[in-house]
Amino acid sequence: MPTKKPSSTKKNTQETAHDALKKLEEENTRLQQELTEKNDKYLRTLADFQNYQKRMEKEHSTQKEETKKKYLLELLDLTELLKKAYEDPDPKPGLKLLLENIDKFLQKEGITYIDCKGKPFDYQLHNAVSTIEQSDCVDGTILDEIKKGYLVGEKLLRPAHVIVAKKKQ
Amino acid sequence: MAKIIGIDLGTTNSEAAYIEAGKPVVIKSVEGQPYFPSVVAFTKTGEMLVGEAAKRQAVTNTEGTVQRIKRKMGTHEKVTLRGKTYTPQQISAFILQKIKKDAEDFLGEKITDAVITVPAYFNDDQRQATKDAGAIAGFNVKRIINEPTAAALAYGLDKEGDQKIAVYDFGGGTLDVTIMEVGGGVFEVLSTSGDTQLGGSDMDRALVDYIAEEFKKKHGVDLRKEPKTLQRVLEAAETAKIELSSTLQTDINLPYIYVVTGEPKHLEIKLTRAKLEEIISPIVQRSEKPCNQALHDAKLKPEEIDHVVLVGGVTRMQLVQKKVEEIFKQKPKREVDPMECVAVGAAIQAGVMSGDIDKDIVLLDVTPLTLSIETLGGVATPLIERNTTVPTKKSKVFSTAADNQTSVEINVLQGERPMAADNKSLGRFHLDGILPAPRGLPQIEVSFDIDVNGIMNVSAKDLGTGKEQSIHITGSTKLSDSEIERMRKEAKEHEEDDKKRKEKIEIRNTADSLMHSTEKALVELKDKFSSEDKENLEKALKELREALTGDDTDVIKAKTDALTQVFQKASTAIYQQAAQQYQQQSGQGQTQGESWQGQPSDDDTINADYKVKGEKKKKDTEDS
Repeated sequence: MPTKKPSSTKKNTQETAHDALKKLEEENTRLQQELTEKNDKYLRTLADFQNYQKRMEKEHSTQKEETKKKYLLELLDLTELLKKAYEDPDPKPGLKLLLENIDKFLQKEGITYIDCKGKPFDYQLHNAVSTIEQSDCVDGTILDEIKKGYLVGEKLLRPAHVIVAKKKQ
Repeated sequence: MAKIIGIDLGTTNSEAAYIEAGKPVVIKSVEGQPYFPSVVAFTKTGEMLVGEAAKRQAVTNTEGTVQRIKRKMGTHEKVTLRGKTYTPQQISAFILQKIKKDAEDFLGEKITDAVITVPAYFNDDQRQATKDAGAIAGFNVKRIINEPTAAALAYGLDKEGDQKIAVYDFGGGTLDVTIMEVGGGVFEVLSTSGDTQLGGSDMDRALVDYIAEEFKKKHGVDLRKEPKTLQRVLEAAETAKIELSSTLQTDINLPYIYVVTGEPKHLEIKLTRAKLEEIISPIVQRSEKPCNQALHDAKLKPEEIDHVVLVGGVTRMQLVQKKVEEIFKQKPKREVDPMECVAVGAAIQAGVMSGDIDKDIVLLDVTPLTLSIETLGGVATPLIERNTTVPTKKSKVFSTAADNQTSVEINVLQGERPMAADNKSLGRFHLDGILPAPRGLPQIEVSFDIDVNGIMNVSAKDLGTGKEQSIHITGSTKLSDSEIERMRKEAKEHEEDDKKRKEKIEIRNTADSLMHSTEKALVELKDKFSSEDKENLEKALKELREALTGDDTDVIKAKTDALTQVFQKASTAIYQQAAQQYQQQSGQGQTQGESWQGQPSDDDTINADYKVKGEKKKKDTEDS
């Protein structure tokens, strides 16, 4: 029956189109929902990150405070003892112990003195303040130390301020 | 997109910055400083040094070191170092290369793009030379901008409509004054002026001279003659200068500064701010002429300038700020670190170009005040702290305050005060249907969930029955500034009182829960307590109950302590008794107090560790 065929095809096409539309609509709803969820998740993660940053900042400053406290307390103890030494008519023995204590503390913190007199100048450890011209010297040798330099562990805390020999040509 | 850094390529020092999460961050050198000395050197062995290291060895290697190369930019002058000649561009490139390398170390990523600043008076040759230096260093120079423009950008002055801006840049060695006009985000230089021979080092020298002269008057020795003593005086002068920007007087003490005929001499000088200002005043005064010149050239009166921006370390001194205010008849801007200002501005320009600023930035709200719920005794227990970025969700488990309590009220509060009544109630609801149980046993989870629009969903869930109740509260993040301010101020004003009141409530709560557990023990263990202990317990309990009807916190506290002690004595007796019995039964001479080994019990029951997180329960366990 040829007459029926096109109508059924039409109906079929209509049905298929309808189905496809429905499918797309469903897909659209699903995607929209997914987008809303993802967006919410993204914003929450972002907010979490910002809150994390705030917390870190706070923690960082507390930590800084703690470190400061630690050194201030050491300094206060030292001040108290120095005051006592100042009142002492014979302060030398007390001061000796005090100095030993300070040295011990610095040692514990990993501080080492940069021994530089008579050594060749090294820009990694020394800061040249001036030079002195001499005819009988090794060029670049450290003649004098103006300010002591220190390392903390392997790192430079402060370069030694030095005067360097310059050979007279 | 890759990061673009901003570089302030300076005469004595250079600085660099970039934008991270919308905020400018100053890049530190590998040596740990927020700047890079603009010094390049070649050692005898042919090693190239740049920055801090080059600066440290400069005096020992004058023939191999070059400083202040910026002054030669755009000229045909060449520098010869250790037999090789270099153009100013090449030397500047070495400095930029060091900045590039250290920036890459600092950021942990490759940097190829940069915005570099130049003085406003730089001509085309000088600008081209700077651009070339960048290219030699391996940078893709995105833009060359004027230093004063960068300073204005650091203050966001490009966003304020048509403005006339004066930038007063007083550095270590030079003074630059620039008058600009900005409109529609475009800066136009109206005039520039300055003094290339005027700077902070002149001030230091004047101050050292004063200190040395004072010492000389007293002890007849010139401390400037010896590098050792000069160094200490220089450092002391620097410290004094900084101190006097916040105090009116300072003591310069340099013990053991010099030994005169075997006797140690100490330097002791009192320096007032007035004296310091007298010393440096002639130098500051010299900055007036270039400013007036710039105003004249721009055909502007001081009153026509909308903003004055300060750049350079010297501008930290009050006298300088006063002078600027006097010249331009207005308070200058100085919120951004004047040393970092230009680099920060360059970074902002870079950030706009790379999209780290403005583009795609999601602005999230924060909770202006703390959000809490009311708990036992009218205490506000916070769930979401003030200044938390939303959307966010926080939960806490609470419990009941009385035996067989079947309903809890959730009162949602906003504010910084520790007591519920002093805060604003945003809403309240009840959760009913809690199964009758001893206090502290039911677990009620309360959640605050604020979405991106500031709408808060508060829910309370009985974890035992699964029953849930919730409300929506709008506007938890939207409060007028004046309201937020008022509430914060109130919290601050009442801080002391509030603390006392909260303490009082806590003491009462502690007493209450101790009473409760004592009563319970008296019922459950009535056969185990000795009659004497029982009597004591009942007596102490009665006294505490009476104390609680009154309002004297000290008495309540004392009675709580008394009951605790009696209770402890009584329970110790029970345990001792049990231990004795055990020893008799097992016939073993085990010593008392041996720790629990964790042997499983005979039957199959598992001893679940039942923990309730809420405030109330915590107190219970702490007390008992």
